[in-house]
Amino acid sequence: MTTMLKKILVGLDGSKGSFKALGEAMLLAILAGTEVHTISVEEVPRYPGTIDEVIAGKEAADTVYASVIEKAQSMAKDKGVTLKTFVMMGHEVKTIVEFVSQNQYDLLVIGFMGHSALYDRVMGGTCQALVRLTPCPVLVVK
Amino acid sequence: MENAWYVATIWIGLALVASIISIRTAISVALVEICVGVVGGNFLGLDPHSEWISFLAGFGAILLRFLAGAEIEPDVLRKYGKEALSIGLIAFFLPFLGTMAYAYYVAHWALQASMICGIALSTTSVAVVYAVMVETGFNETELGKLILAACFVNDLGTVVALGAIFANYNYWLIVFAVVTAVVMFVTPWFIRWFLKIFNNHVSEPGIKLIFVLLFGLGWLATRANSEAVLPAYLLGLVVANIFKENREMVRHLRTATFALLTPFYFLKAGTIVSLPAIYMGFGLIVVLLLVKMVTKFIGVYPLTRVFNLTGRTGMYTTLLMSTGLTFGSISALFGYTRGIITQDQYTILVTVVIGSAVVPTLIAQWFFQPKERDMNLTASVKTVCKPEIETSMSEKG
Repeated sequence: MTTMLKKILVGLDGSKGSFKALGEAMLLAILAGTEVHTISVEEVPRYPGTIDEVIAGKEAADTVYASVIEKAQSMAKDKGVTLKTFVMMGHEVKTIVEFVSQNQYDLLVIGFMGHSALYDRVMGGTCQALVRLTPCPVLVVK
Repeated sequence: MENAWYVATIWIGLALVASIISIRTAISVALVEICVGVVGGNFLGLDPHSEWISFLAGFGAILLRFLAGAEIEPDVLRKYGKEALSIGLIAFFLPFLGTMAYAYYVAHWALQASMICGIALSTTSVAVVYAVMVETGFNETELGKLILAACFVNDLGTVVALGAIFANYNYWLIVFAVVTAVVMFVTPWFIRWFLKIFNNHVSEPGIKLIFVLLFGLGWLATRANSEAVLPAYLLGLVVANIFKENREMVRHLRTATFALLTPFYFLKAGTIVSLPAIYMGFGLIVVLLLVKMVTKFIGVYPLTRVFNLTGRTGMYTTLLMSTGLTFGSISALFGYTRGIITQDQYTILVTVVIGSAVVPTLIAQWFFQPKERDMNLTASVKTVCKPEIETSMSEKG
């Protein structure tokens, strides 16, 4: 499998699961001799009451993702893997699916979210949606 | 009277619940607070009429308008003055007249109640438009800037109508108009000078100065039977450039506003909504939403073609300009608190306003997302000002 891997994308949201996924993706990248890309999605609040709500949300997400990306870069440095990170805005699933198809990744690696069954039923599972909709193989790391 | 701390615990507790729901669902806290307020008002017996809650809610509404005014980009307004004025004014007047006429002639509302209906449904939600654009990256394109500028003009029309139509034309109105004009003229350089001397202190003298101006102008506005959100919006407009140079102060103001004040406003707006009135007036809600969207279409769509937007982009612009939320709910609450509209009429208006935040946005995103080539009106023109939010996609590493 690894010989076919040219482009690996990891969904990185800063959770423990997503860093676990990043670790696995780096191992695969070393075997395949390729680089790893990460995508972090900042969600814009739907139907905001004020522009400030959007701006404040973006600023908060920027701060969070700055430290997430710093940690990811340090992991990549330790393992000797080249890492490219992308931060985008939008709906998590839609943005990742579009990004994968636009950039023709060979593999998407995501962490298992670990929400309760009730949460997934009510809110819809991000993992499930990504597995169903992404136009490339998806590896879910638990 | 109930113990104030007990009441505050309930209200802030509901605001906390709304924040958590908002974070988990990525739906705006404003909308969730209104919905939580509806539950509180209909099932928990929340009383929105207490004086101190009304004060905090009113202060929240004033700051919402002030911050909305302060987000205006004067460079963009200057660049697209003609287009923004035409689209913005038409997008205000046609829905105002259309929905007012429907409420008056068909639904048989009183004239003043019909006017409130017209004002509440003439709005365009700059925030909803902005969020859609940030998500798609359109906010940095020339088309995005034009649409936002037109939304600001539309909002200005709404605020002026709210402030002018119900005012008493007497001595107090003259005093209010003169003082407002002087404050608008003097404030930009005065605040700049003030901040040079008194900025960056934990007691936030800059924010207090703004509060003094907002309260003072609000007092004069209400003496003239006008509305305090009018001077607040205008004051925001004249300090917009200064705020862009003082982001730290803006952050502090925003934190105070969203943590303490706006929850009271949006929760209160929700508590007054009556669920039986939604059920009874459902037909009118649907029709008023349609009238709003159709009148926006009649007004805005032909203009988008005059300004050489493609059909698809024109529809997208038109639909985004049909959205509404905060200004609409403020207008409805203004009408209700002054006894111009009944609780049932308020309920209908707020439900239409919420519907107009959701329905046109979804239609625009699902069916009329512009093609990339249409997004920059003039390819040779670079962005005219630094975007408020940096690129929607950034590559690092």
